Amino acid sequence: MAETLSRSQNPREWLAFALVWGSAALVTATFCWLLGDIVWHGLSHVSWTFLTAPPENAGRRGGIGPILVSTSLILGVCLAVSLPIGIGTAVLLAEFTSDQSLFGRMTRRSLDVLAGVPSIVFGLFGNAFFCKTLGLGFSILSGGLTLACMVLPILIRSTEEGFRAVPASYRLSAAALGLSRTTTLVHLLLPAAVPGLLVGLVLGVGRAIAETAALIFTSGYVDRMPESLLDSGRALSIHIFDLSMNVSGGDANAYASTLVLVIMLLAINGTASWLATYGLHRKVVTV
Amino acid sequence: MCKYLNIFRVNPCGSLATLLILALLGIPGSVTAQTTATDQLSGKLVITGASTLAPLIAEIGKRFESLYVKVRVDVQTGGSSRGVADARQGLADIGMVSRAMKDDEKDLHAFPVARDGVGIILHKQNPVQALTDEQVVAIYTGKITNWKDVGGKDAPMTVVNKAEGRSTLEVFLHYFKIKNTDVKAQVVIGDNEQGVKTVAGNRHAIGYVSIGTAEYDESQGVPIKLLSVGGVTASTETVRNGTFPISRPLHIITRTPPVGLAKAFIDYAQSKAVHDIITQQYFVPLAD
Repeated sequence: MAETLSRSQNPREWLAFALVWGSAALVTATFCWLLGDIVWHGLSHVSWTFLTAPPENAGRRGGIGPILVSTSLILGVCLAVSLPIGIGTAVLLAEFTSDQSLFGRMTRRSLDVLAGVPSIVFGLFGNAFFCKTLGLGFSILSGGLTLACMVLPILIRSTEEGFRAVPASYRLSAAALGLSRTTTLVHLLLPAAVPGLLVGLVLGVGRAIAETAALIFTSGYVDRMPESLLDSGRALSIHIFDLSMNVSGGDANAYASTLVLVIMLLAINGTASWLATYGLHRKVVTV
Repeated sequence: MCKYLNIFRVNPCGSLATLLILALLGIPGSVTAQTTATDQLSGKLVITGASTLAPLIAEIGKRFESLYVKVRVDVQTGGSSRGVADARQGLADIGMVSRAMKDDEKDLHAFPVARDGVGIILHKQNPVQALTDEQVVAIYTGKITNWKDVGGKDAPMTVVNKAEGRSTLEVFLHYFKIKNTDVKAQVVIGDNEQGVKTVAGNRHAIGYVSIGTAEYDESQGVPIKLLSVGGVTASTETVRNGTFPISRPLHIITRTPPVGLAKAFIDYAQSKAVHDIITQQYFVPLAD
């Protein structure tokens, strides 16, 4: 009671209170509006047939079957490449490089710059390097590799933070017990750094799955069922962009595809946080 | 059925099976006869260029693939300029260009497949019913900035222009003889549908888009209206009979005279067999 009284008596306090709650409410309301709009317009069009059938009449009719497959393959290539490289680099930066060393500082700085580069730049780079120089052409492989380049900085930096968040006492205890650095890394530090890794993964996957600009010049526009990683395949985000901006009468299917994209994203985030809570965290506790 | 057969690209079944499939699919006899003559066609065609044309050519490609099971038609988008560049460099077998060919593009072989009109659109509730060419020029060059000067409400205009490199922009500027650097626009957009959405969402906006797109959206209840130009109603019909003044041909281009697969595809894209697809994508088939 006393607290409420002092708040109402002090206008500055009250203003701060209103501002903080107002911003939180605004953010939540925006999200709810957005989600509500997508669900409202999209839900009636989503069905099993929609998820499995190929698009017809430039996507106005039919479904998104081949597009879902292409999107998953692009994401798969992206993760298969970026996860090992990302974790490796993060380990090197956090465990084997000192904060002050020139190499460490240079690497970190360049990663931070890369993380801020607009995706269209990655798209043009991917088109020039993977499609033309390496001769992969418009393909799922080119798209996945381009996304990997884009996701890596985020992944490395947050995994590195994950490693740095592990208390130094862990390392010292392990050394005192005579564990080798590899054993310490694999059995102690890596599981303990998983939350950081997952944050990076969720952010990276979120960025990758929503990507349009980097993919339109690399994995391309073809909406046929891909037969190999060297085929061009249209990602879900490009399909949505094309339906809403280039194909008149594509709005209904654009909404439905957006809903599928949002559900995919929520599912991936959900799995990641479930893994963090139950799957991998337990390992640290039992060690 | 056909889609699953596509998976077996190295088709072990002979032409008999192909014929059987075509017969099952109910493809008319004349086409089947033509197929037997050219059913050696196989390989991949890469087509890049105008985003306006991409959905149309992709649909034509799909029907072409269903006729020739060993053929793949990969359509990529990116704009007419890219279509020209990719065809020149040999990165694409065929380029897509959604405008008339320029003088410095005479080295390329161009094949018109359809026409498209460019119409001026306003919000449906805008009381202005017609604009003269001079008024349009004055609006786009910033000499008229309020609707009351052309018989509308007292409200500032929102001029919507297309981004550099878009063919609709070039067609529009060419007809009204405006330089793009003289255009005073409040909004710059990319694709047609984006133009329609911008005008539908702003009662004081003026923009220009593909007539096929605008006509379709209008029929779907999107609050926009097409203005007549030079006294001619803007419709796919007036574009087809050639009376509507602002229109553009849609081309597919090659660097060298087309042979083999590319020639077969271009012939097919220019044939009457695809007129229904052209109409379906809100373009106007060429007169016979």
